Amino acid sequence: MRPEDWKQYNPVLLPPIPNLHDIQVYEKNSGYDSLKKILEDKENWSPADVIQEVKAANIRGRGGAGFNAGLKWSFMPEPDGKPRYLACNGDESEPGTFKDRKIFEYNPHLFIEGAIIAAYAMQVDAIYVYIRGEYRAFVQMLQKAIDQAYEKGYLGKNILGSGFSVEMYTHMGAGAYICGEESSLMESLEGKRGYPRVKPPFPAQKGLWGRPTTINNIETLANVPLIIQHGAPWYLGIGKETHPGPVLYGISGHVNRPGVYEYPAGMNIMTLINDVCGGVRNGKKLKAVIPGGSSTPPLRADMLDGVSMDADSLREAGSMMGTAGMLILDEDTDMVDLVWRISYFYDHESCGQCTPCREGTGWLQKTLFKIKSGQGEYRDLETLLSICNGMEGRTICALADAAAWPVRYSIERFRDEFESKCKKTVYALA
Amino acid sequence: MPEIFIDNQRYTFDKPGKVLQFMLDQGLDLPFFCYHPSLSIPANCRQCMVKAGMPVYDRDKGIFETDEEGNRLIRYFPKLMTACNLDMSDGMVIHTHHSDELVKQAQADNLEFILINHPLDCPICDQAGECPLQILTYKYGPEGSRFEHKKVHKPKSIQLGPRVILDAERCINCTRCVRFTDEISKSHQLSIVSRGDKNYPLTAEGESFDDPYSLNTVDICPVGALTSADFRFKARVWEMNQTPGIDVSNGKGCNTYIWTRDNLVLRITPRFNEHVNDHWMPDKGREYYREFNENRVSGPKIKVGKEDQVGSSWNNAMLTFKETLEAASPENVLVIGSPYASLEDNFALKTFASHLGITEAFIVPHIIDGYGDGLLLVDDQAPNTQGAALLEFQKISASELKERILKMKPEAIVCLDDRLLDRESTLQEVFSSSFSIVFGSNMTKTSQQADVLIPVTCAAEHTASYVNSEGRIQRTVPAKETKYTHRRLNLEMSMSRLDHFGTRYDNWVNEDNKIDCIPAWEFLGKVTIENNPIVWESSKDMLEHLSASLPVFEGVSYPAMDSQKGIQLSIPKS
Ligand SMILES: Cc1cc2nc3c(=O)[nH]c(=O)nc-3n(C[C@H](O)[C@H](O)[C@H](O)COP(=O)(O)O)c2cc1C
Ligand code: SF4
Ligand code: SF4
Ligand code: FES
Repeated sequence: MRPEDWKQYNPVLLPPIPNLHDIQVYEKNSGYDSLKKILEDKENWSPADVIQEVKAANIRGRGGAGFNAGLKWSFMPEPDGKPRYLACNGDESEPGTFKDRKIFEYNPHLFIEGAIIAAYAMQVDAIYVYIRGEYRAFVQMLQKAIDQAYEKGYLGKNILGSGFSVEMYTHMGAGAYICGEESSLMESLEGKRGYPRVKPPFPAQKGLWGRPTTINNIETLANVPLIIQHGAPWYLGIGKETHPGPVLYGISGHVNRPGVYEYPAGMNIMTLINDVCGGVRNGKKLKAVIPGGSSTPPLRADMLDGVSMDADSLREAGSMMGTAGMLILDEDTDMVDLVWRISYFYDHESCGQCTPCREGTGWLQKTLFKIKSGQGEYRDLETLLSICNGMEGRTICALADAAAWPVRYSIERFRDEFESKCKKTVYALA
Repeated sequence: MPEIFIDNQRYTFDKPGKVLQFMLDQGLDLPFFCYHPSLSIPANCRQCMVKAGMPVYDRDKGIFETDEEGNRLIRYFPKLMTACNLDMSDGMVIHTHHSDELVKQAQADNLEFILINHPLDCPICDQAGECPLQILTYKYGPEGSRFEHKKVHKPKSIQLGPRVILDAERCINCTRCVRFTDEISKSHQLSIVSRGDKNYPLTAEGESFDDPYSLNTVDICPVGALTSADFRFKARVWEMNQTPGIDVSNGKGCNTYIWTRDNLVLRITPRFNEHVNDHWMPDKGREYYREFNENRVSGPKIKVGKEDQVGSSWNNAMLTFKETLEAASPENVLVIGSPYASLEDNFALKTFASHLGITEAFIVPHIIDGYGDGLLLVDDQAPNTQGAALLEFQKISASELKERILKMKPEAIVCLDDRLLDRESTLQEVFSSSFSIVFGSNMTKTSQQADVLIPVTCAAEHTASYVNSEGRIQRTVPAKETKYTHRRLNLEMSMSRLDHFGTRYDNWVNEDNKIDCIPAWEFLGKVTIENNPIVWESSKDMLEHLSASLPVFEGVSYPAMDSQKGIQLSIPKS
């Protein structure tokens, strides 16, 4: 199923089945079959085989970085009898991103099953699901699903009589975006302050409580049962070969029908806006698209020709896939205001551990506020760009980059708009 | 041997390590804030950026690939790396600000960032003059700041605990203080609160930062965010002389710096010695500075009859001392050395006593069981218990001493600088029934009840050695002057160091606050008895004699102690 044939696409992550969140309904729709397939045939499905299959499916992490999940799993060292962990990233705090919540809400068992399979593949002892604190209701829904899975013997000791055991715990965040970054997520799980860790060591070497750990996004894990059920070739047949599989596009902003839509990866952006979401709101013209959450560089409408939602196409166009949380902006959008608001977010959310991010995010925000309120001068734009230079690639985690990119690329791509907000400073000629 | 190229210069290294520490060991400069050799490496200040690369290795041929000119091809890391947590590896290439413009720019950018919310109140900040932020900004920082907005305001003057005050606005969030309480003192009392540029360290609600090592955070804080409640606003660092010393408040013998101005000690800070105290010292040892200034005995005192002590001339004191000892028969004189006094003073007393035919001499160790904490405080409260014991002073307890006095009814008691009666009140009555001669530096109870009180120098005023509880012999040099010494003319002093901040023209000493006292050994040497055995000109000569005559002190001398950071004697730990 290629993106061109999107009209024939039938959702697999969020299929339109009523009450799918209930384990009985889920089981009726071949739920937990993938898990059974593996655990009842361990000869053919050794942990290494599972990793191999997932690796072959080339599923790219849906948490933002787009890293091959199977490859990531293969970094886990050989079991040594001591604990190892899987941490599931449901922190979902990047502005414009709201897709994992749909999984918690409508198809939690798909994620749970995926996490158990991942746990089996990496031979981990416990799964932690880190969920943003604001998702209180979804945590309760997920907890209910987990309880059901325990009752049915899909979780806990000796799962389905296979000898494999794993526990699953939920953990609520306390409202910090930075706790979605994988290493500060681990710090937070350990009960510490959410400071990202310096890498190396990488989580697979030293993760939770110093033990090997893998962190995956919720959507990433929800893909796993499908890969096992239908096989890697099937998965590669969806979307683009370089970026395969179904994707939950979280589309918000100035469109007529915002929402989370499941389609193959690599959907044409204009198709998503015009055909899937019913076009730009109020018949306005499109101004720009921020394709993958607020940190990804905005693309001007005229840059969108033939651009599709996959890593390669977006890189070529000058942006990134991120979380596929798309912000659609119409012609009335004040870019300075928007970028200031994005900057305000990163200023607020910087953990403050490293200098360029702690100081740079605030400086960006304050300078943008100055421009936004009509007090800016042309030189402020150069200052903004040089602040970005001082932040990008110089910090412990990627939050500083996430804060700098929208500013840098907005100035580059909407410079006239920024300049029109600046005071026309007149220098007297001597 | 593995090699590393730093700014196009080749170095070899024999053990694995981090690039920054290696550079510091080589005497190379790189700006940094958060790194501390004795703490974990958070790499959070991002100041120590370097450009790093590795040679491209051709696995098949087993050689490094080269360009046309035969130079190794280097594959650089895509981002600048922090040198503090970068592991060295064979063939690594490093470029610092000396050979790379981007690195230079990154260092300046980072300092500009640090300073945008810094209050820049150096003129009223205690740290000014010894502030890494100030120093590195001058050296590596940008010309000025482009920041034109309101700075972030944070709480000021927060009393974190009894001894430490925080100015949160000055904090640069290096987390050194937090790591110290987590990793060294293990009190876990500090953590960073809030987020982003509002971050600062704080204790938990209702908790006081009363860590017995709290003041070390003031030392390692790279800015003036943490200040000592006691020292705050007392002096600028460049107004003080900084002299190496030894902590005499505990048997551990932490190495210190003694900071003086106008012959007063204003503060004591730790001096690095990996064999004893690393970079740290207990707060108790720092608070001891008062003893060097306050309540000192200045000028000899003598009791006439049952009257209070009155001032006396040195001549008169010496005469009384001599006559008392000559009048008494040797077996009727009780000689008490001191675990608090220096090796030299104890040795002089012992030698003098033997000369008079007094064969026995005692010390009363001051041990508090369970006082030690396994870090830098030991049970032994005195700085030289081991030293006195090596000179064959017999160790006895206070109650044994009391019994002995009661039995012996000595005509005279000679007691070296110690707080015997202060710490063992039961000795008071037995002491007062004998004629007592006390060498005292401070007006303690022991000093007060003396019939003859001879004022002696304290550890901040004399050159002398102390043997710590682990059997390490270390020495002091005069940090402040007495009536009879001149710090700058003092040979020991000028040989040992140049003042850190001072120049040869601005030694902050004057005639104020000079105590009328001399070292005990010098006093004993001046007593006009026949064939006085104390023939040495200086404590240095005396130590040389000791070293030559007692095998345990073989090879011990002041220069040797200086160059080896003290000398471990081969004796069992106490
Ligand atoms: C500042 C920051 C915030 C992040 N927030 C999230 C998040 O909320 N959810 C998420 O899944 N990944 C987030 N990530 C990405 C994670 O660090 C990590 O790459 C991801 O969870 C890995 O999962 P995946 O490989 O399945 O995509 C964030 C990264 C950064 C730098
Ligand atoms: S880049 Fe920002 S959020 Fe990430 S560790 Fe540094 S200060 Fe914290
Ligand atoms: S108070 Fe000082 S030591 Fe502590 S984090 Fe701030 S700057 Fe660092
Ligand atoms: S010293 Fe702070 S990052 Fe290296």
